[in-house]
Amino acid sequence: MASLARTVPRRALISLQSLRTSSTRPVRQSLQSLQPLQSRTQPHHLHLQPQIRPYHSTLHPRLPDHEYNNSQIAILSAALPHIPEHGFSAEALALGARDAGFLDVSVQLFPRAEFDLVLFWLASRRGLLRAKVEEGALFRRVADKSGRDASSFSTEEKCRILVMERLKMNSDVKGQWQGALAQMSLLSNIPVSLTELHALSNDILSLSDDSAVDASWYSRRLALSAIYASAEVVMTRDPTPDLSETEAFVNRRFEDKEALKQKIEGVSQCVSFVGNTAVGVGRSWGLKI
Amino acid sequence: MSSRSAWRALHHSAKRRAFQPATPYRCFSCTRRAQDQPKSEQDRMTHFGFTNVPESEKESRVGAVFSSVASSYDTMNDLMSLGIHRLWKDHFVRSLNPGSPLPAGPHRKGWNILDIAGGTGDIAFRMLDHATNINHDIETRVTISDINADMLAEGRKRSVQTPYYNTSRLDFVEANAEHMPHIPDASVDLYTVVFGIRNFTDKQAALNEAFRVLKPGGVFACMEFSKVDNPVFDAIYKRWNFSAIPMIGQLVAGDRDSYQYLVESIERFPSQDEFRGMIQKAGFMIPGKGYENLTGGIAAIHKGIKPVVKA
Repeated sequence: MASLARTVPRRALISLQSLRTSSTRPVRQSLQSLQPLQSRTQPHHLHLQPQIRPYHSTLHPRLPDHEYNNSQIAILSAALPHIPEHGFSAEALALGARDAGFLDVSVQLFPRAEFDLVLFWLASRRGLLRAKVEEGALFRRVADKSGRDASSFSTEEKCRILVMERLKMNSDVKGQWQGALAQMSLLSNIPVSLTELHALSNDILSLSDDSAVDASWYSRRLALSAIYASAEVVMTRDPTPDLSETEAFVNRRFEDKEALKQKIEGVSQCVSFVGNTAVGVGRSWGLKI
Repeated sequence: MSSRSAWRALHHSAKRRAFQPATPYRCFSCTRRAQDQPKSEQDRMTHFGFTNVPESEKESRVGAVFSSVASSYDTMNDLMSLGIHRLWKDHFVRSLNPGSPLPAGPHRKGWNILDIAGGTGDIAFRMLDHATNINHDIETRVTISDINADMLAEGRKRSVQTPYYNTSRLDFVEANAEHMPHIPDASVDLYTVVFGIRNFTDKQAALNEAFRVLKPGGVFACMEFSKVDNPVFDAIYKRWNFSAIPMIGQLVAGDRDSYQYLVESIERFPSQDEFRGMIQKAGFMIPGKGYENLTGGIAAIHKGIKPVVKA
């Protein structure tokens, strides 16, 4: 989609940026989370606070919302295997620090403590999802299962597949997910959590080749975020091992979305028709409209 | 009339002063210049409140201040900060969360905490309480180090009231934080210095020494007075500092000069960003922003982590 002329300066910018701040984009984070890391001394600039920018530009890609240095990534990656047992908690972080060769006290590296673990989980799973799609394996697998061609999926279907895939990534930590939701709903954590939710819905839509640039850009992301967030809550209470209840729930919500969309379109058509008619009637009466 | 005579006197004295070049005799090829020796280590100046004193003198002067305030230290802290210093200290200890709730591994025996300039034991007792009562860790121990024997004596006196008196969990050492040869390299989990580092003669040397004694992954945590960011609040705060505190010192502790020094040293201490730069210069990693402001920036908590270098 993007022409070469547009992608080249963009790549150059990213590499410049990574030189300057040694930033790790979410994709890279997820890849790094799979391998043990060598910790180095830290870079001078760190952007742990979310970066809020009031404009969008393809030439200046959005900075990642939360960056971690190598030591932090090492501890967080080592803490992930402890989550199913200890939850998104300080204990899991401390165990991760021990596994990565740090001390218990080193969890002071994380000013937001457990919430950093939640954020890292979200960001790294999001990166994994993107990696799966970019390899092309995900849609091919689903297509083989249903006996269809991978290129025949509509945007809508792709969205649904991606939402379910993302939910399935949470199935290991299903028992602990309510704790994570509680962390995310703390007042001070809400803005960052919402940013992360938006990033996920944005990723899912762009990965399913949604190219809308009109007002529906907002409504689509809003709808997808709502579906995903509610499905997460349903998932925490889903007793089935393959999340079939959650899948049914997601399917129902997508149908609801369609129905709602049709209704809104119908209402707006009706309103515009009535408006046009009223203007026409007024003009025929001689009103200067 | 009198003003005129005064003017004349000034005039005369100005005239009478003979011209004196900075170097009285100077030629290119002789050793005479060697007489203008650069100032020796002994004569280098550092600040003591708003006045400049030789570096060699600062230590003894600070010592005199704290010897004179040791007995009334707590009352004075309460009066000066309106009791808020207790909240700060509680918050500091809670955010560090000393002690491990998890069963210690084979090589780990609780945390080894070094509390610098903690003579009266304020922080040390809080940390031990937190480790014992919250994390059920009875292995964690604290070494209180202070340069001032009077403050240490005050802390020893208070430790009698605590359950840690005469146990291996609490230790008192009289030492200069800039040079601690009795503490081996990489032996400390947590290094704290609370309202102490601004009195040090050479802060960077103390930071480097902290870096040396900490284990890789160990944490340097420091709470110190800092700069208020809101100008309106800053004006009120300065007014309180320079008018009220010396007066309270005079009334309660009978010692105005010590408290005058205290507020001046607060004023001279570097800002949050400058101090963060010093911590980084010593080699520490900085988590997030690097500091946390308390009560609008009156005090700030700085943290640094010693990186783990893998071969």
